[in-house]
Formats: sequence, structure tokens, C-alpha cells
Amino acid sequence: METPVIDVRHLSRHFRQKSGGFFRGTTLKAVDDVSFTILPGETFGIVGESGCGKSTVARSIMCLEPPTSGEIFFEGTRIDTLREYRRRGLRPRFQMVFQDSGATLNPRKRIEDILREPMLYHRIGDPHGLDTRIDELLMSVGLGPQARSRYPHEFSGGQRQRLCIARALSINPDLIVLDEPVSALDVSVQAQILNLLQNLQTERHLTYLFISHGLGAVRYISHRIAVMYRGRFVETGPCQTIFDHPAHPYTQALIDAAPSVKERKPRRKLMLSGEIGDAVPTGACPLVHRCPLSDSACLHYKPCLNPVSGEPAHLSACMRNLGAIND
Amino acid sequence: MSPLLSIQDLSIAFGTKPDCITVTDRITFDLEAGEILSLVGESGCGKSVTALSILGLLPRTASVLSGKICFDGQNLLTMSSRDLDRIRGNSISMIFQDIMYSLNPVFTIRNQMCEGMICHLGLSRRDAYSRAADLLRRTGLPDPESVLQKYPHQLSGGQRQRVMIAMALACRPKLLIADEPTTALDVTIQMQIMNLLLDLRRETGMAILLITHDIGLVSEFADRMAVMYAGQCVEIGETSRIIARPAHAYTHALLSAVPDVSGVNRHLVSIPGSVPERYDRLKGCRFASRCPMITSCSFRTIPDFREVEPGHLTRCTAFGKGL
Repeated sequence: METPVIDVRHLSRHFRQKSGGFFRGTTLKAVDDVSFTILPGETFGIVGESGCGKSTVARSIMCLEPPTSGEIFFEGTRIDTLREYRRRGLRPRFQMVFQDSGATLNPRKRIEDILREPMLYHRIGDPHGLDTRIDELLMSVGLGPQARSRYPHEFSGGQRQRLCIARALSINPDLIVLDEPVSALDVSVQAQILNLLQNLQTERHLTYLFISHGLGAVRYISHRIAVMYRGRFVETGPCQTIFDHPAHPYTQALIDAAPSVKERKPRRKLMLSGEIGDAVPTGACPLVHRCPLSDSACLHYKPCLNPVSGEPAHLSACMRNLGAIND
Repeated sequence: MSPLLSIQDLSIAFGTKPDCITVTDRITFDLEAGEILSLVGESGCGKSVTALSILGLLPRTASVLSGKICFDGQNLLTMSSRDLDRIRGNSISMIFQDIMYSLNPVFTIRNQMCEGMICHLGLSRRDAYSRAADLLRRTGLPDPESVLQKYPHQLSGGQRQRVMIAMALACRPKLLIADEPTTALDVTIQMQIMNLLLDLRRETGMAILLITHDIGLVSEFADRMAVMYAGQCVEIGETSRIIARPAHAYTHALLSAVPDVSGVNRHLVSIPGSVPERYDRLKGCRFASRCPMITSCSFRTIPDFREVEPGHLTRCTAFGKGL
């Protein structure tokens, strides 16, 4: 079996709340016992509403956030406990692209310097040949060499996102963590970036962790997805299966709620009431107050991911099977 | 019968004369009572400016070059600001996108909600309070009395948007302008808010001008839609017809670029390039530089509206003829 690029086992990240009045001293479980693997050349999508912990998962994988418990392996090496100087050798192999492309490019540097710096730091390529490499990078993300001597503010949002991708590519990573890369962009530009990412993946055999709250984008680009709610995975499986036959009420509700061009829906089967922040008693299903299907049993049992009948790769964390409702 | 709101040839420019930028170019549309019309387009296409001009909320750097905005037979553009004050928040009200900044952080919700009702409807404080609580309950907030005592920062995004809607509805408007009302919210909350707006329209018969960039939202909720590109309205008509048979190259491209949740677009066809800078100086079709059908049309002249079906107008000379 292939070694997975990323293997996350029982990852948790808890924050102790120091301020916040009433909530002072309580623990916020941003990520709670999350496990998944990503195989080489695959795109793994994480989808969920704001505040569900999807960005914390990304930051933990990038070692920007130490996990409270759990293990993270990158190609078989455990990275969360490595010391920083040992980790540095692995760093160029996993890179991240952030949502706010304007804030992640230094406004006082020219594009060529922004792209050159990581290569110099990680000693990638011949120092004298870096100029041609910068041109190649710019070409590969669809920008011309004339972009080299310009500053970040001279570019539009979509172009800046291309520059961030170019910077991530500059040191030949295997894995790119994409945290909401297209959420801030207009539809026509969104399509450009999604297609660019797909082309780069086939050319360079890249592995992606794609994080977004936009179901459409996740569906378009991912091979496998996980739906996240309040720090936990509530459903994982192949992308097509989950969108066609969601097994968890939350997934169903998300898909129903996402406005669609093609179907004017009288098909709304499930609607959630309340909000993601509403308090839930300990030991209960996290969705208990919002789920239209919940009953008293859901108050006393916190379900784990279990295989949905017929498909071993398709896991859902719900007490009841949604199959009956889908028919 | 004349329409509730009628905008004719509205052109708005920013800056001073020799080098001002015309951001909307001869926008024309009508809105009937009880109808939901959506202005849809990408950022910078002039949809928000159009909305702001209706209420006379344009920034000082902007000026209206030409056009008329008629509401109930009165031209809002020539009205004195005192007369406008009687209409704003009363028979026309607005919900804004940035819910953070649209509520005053130093006053309680009660204070802010009651102010408008006391001014416009002449209610007493006590009546205004009970009406505010009633409105909040209607928008689906579970405990309106406690919400009224709170300050905006104590509420979540969805709750704040509900407060905004309740406030906008306080004086029973005939027209509600909703500028990206759900863009900052999660999809499940978005669905709750949009269904709420639909319910309220059914009850009160108000018209809604929905401004959004989300073409999925438009196709589900709007009766008619107007597609905007680079300051121009390029296509207008019934939503279902435009979605099924777009008659403008831009609309068509937009529809095939949406990563839709239904998975209908197996391969996204991206629109090459970006919106031209200084598009107001272009002589011909503004979409020409990005248009895939450019060879089959006369793009050098400014295209005028052409009717493809009754009530379905397009500015594209090439598209929709053979379809």
C-alpha cells in the first residue's frame, strides 16, 4: 500500500479561553479527535461552516498550531513532535496558500523577491539560475514575466492568488494546503483558479488539502471529502457518494441549503434551526438542537464515525441511517 | 398601472469632470409591487452603487450624470433631503452587507429599533417597544425581550442580520433593498434568512431588490434578474428563462463558470482575463475582450437592448439568435 502523504491520527486542538466573560476558563474544542489520511496525488476536501475548526486542522498540519493531542505523520515521519530545526528539512515539501492573498504578500517587496526568497532559504536550484526559474513559475500560473518587477498591490485578487500559488510551488512541494483559496474571488476568477489548481495537480502530481465553506468548489475539485461540524468530522467518503447520497443529516442540510443554479428546490427535505454556536450538553450529539430528526436518544449519545452500509470508505457519525429519507 | 420603482437611464460617475469615471451607464429597469428583482454581477460592476443611489446614499465623490429614479410616481433624485427622509426607512428600507457596521455599537438594539418607529410612525415608546419585540419574534429570534436589551457585539452574525431585517421592516416598507444580505453568513443561516424574506413578502406584499453576486441564490429566489457587467445592465428578464436560455455571452459564461453544488458543471469554463480597467472609455461592447463569441458579432458599436422573448432583453448581438 502507498504511504499516505498525510496521516492524521486522533488530532485534537483545545483552546483554554482566557477572556470572554462568562466563558472564561472553559475549554473550546476547536478540533476534537479527527483522523484522516491523504494519498499521493489526491485532493482531500474539508467543508464546513465558519468556526467548525477546518482552518485549525490546516494550521496543525502546517505545524503552525501545536496539537493538544494526537499524531500527524508526513510521509511516514511524525512531524508534530519534531524540533523546529529538524523539521526545517521537511518544510519545503508541504506548503500553504491562504485565503487573504493580499495580506500574505509583503507589500514592500517586488514579485521576483517574493518568489526568490523561499528558494534561497531552502537552497532550491542553482542560485544563478533562479531568474529563469522565476519566469517559469510565473508562466505556470498564467502570469507573464513582466509581473516580476511589480509590487503586490498592482495585481487584482485573482492574480494575487496566482502569485501565492507560484510562491508555494517555488520550492517543489508534494503537498499544498489550500485554506479557502477561492472564497474571496469572483465567480469567473474562481473558475480560473480552480482549473489552474487542477492542471498543476496533473502536471506535477501534487497532493492537495482543500478547505472551503463553498460546497460547489469542494465538490468540483475534491476526490474525497470530510464534512466538519463543531470540531468533529461528521461524514467522510468519496466526493461523489457524499453529494449524491449524504448519510448524515448535517451534510444533507448543507447540500439542501446551498443555493443551486439548476434546481429550484421544492426538494428541501431537511432544514436546520438555530446556529452553530448554540450550547450543547456534554455527551450529546453536537447537532442535537439543530437537527430535525433528533430525539431523546441523541441527547445521551455522541456518535463516532461508522461505515454506512454498502460502502466501506463512506463513514458517518449519526445514529440513524438517512437512506430511508433519501428514497 | 405604473411600476413601484422605475429607474431610467441612470448614469453615475465618481470624481470630477474631465477625468471622472462613469461607474453605471444608463441603467434602466422597473420593479413591480410584490416582485423580487435581483441585480447580479461580479464585484465592481456597479450594482451596489445603483442601490445606494435609490436612497440618495451615494458618497460625496459621486454624482448622478443623467437619469430618473421614480418611486410611486415621484422622482427621488430631484427630491429635497427632507422629503427623502420621509421615504428612507419608511416606505423604502435597506439591509446592508456589513452587518458589523450597520448597527451602532454604543446603543442597545431596543434603542436603535424604536428610534425609526417613533420618528416615522409617531408611536409612543411603549408601543414602539412592543412592536419591536413582535418584529423580532417574527424574524425567528427565540427570546426577543432579551435581545432588545443587548448591544450589537453580544449577538452572532445571523442574529444581527435578523435584527437588521426586523428594523428594515418596522415601518412596513413597500420596497426592501437587500444589498448582499447573506454574503457574510453560513449557508444554513443564509437559507433561514432567505426563507424569512420570502415569508415576509408573502405577508406584507413588499417588493425586494436583491443585490448579490451569487447566481445560485438568484436562480432560487428572484422572479426576475438583471445581469450587470462593467457598469452596464447586459441582460434582463425572468430568472427561469435566463437560467435556461441565457441570451448574453457574459451570462452564459458566468453560468458555466459556477462550481455548482448540484455538480452540473463537470468542467468549469473560466472566463479569460479580467474586467477591463476604465471600462467607461470603451467604445463598443464591454465584454468584447473576454468574449468567446467575438467573431460572430459587431462588437465595435455599443449594442442596444434587443428583445429575445417578451420581457427578456439582451445587449448581445451574437448570442441567443440560433438558440
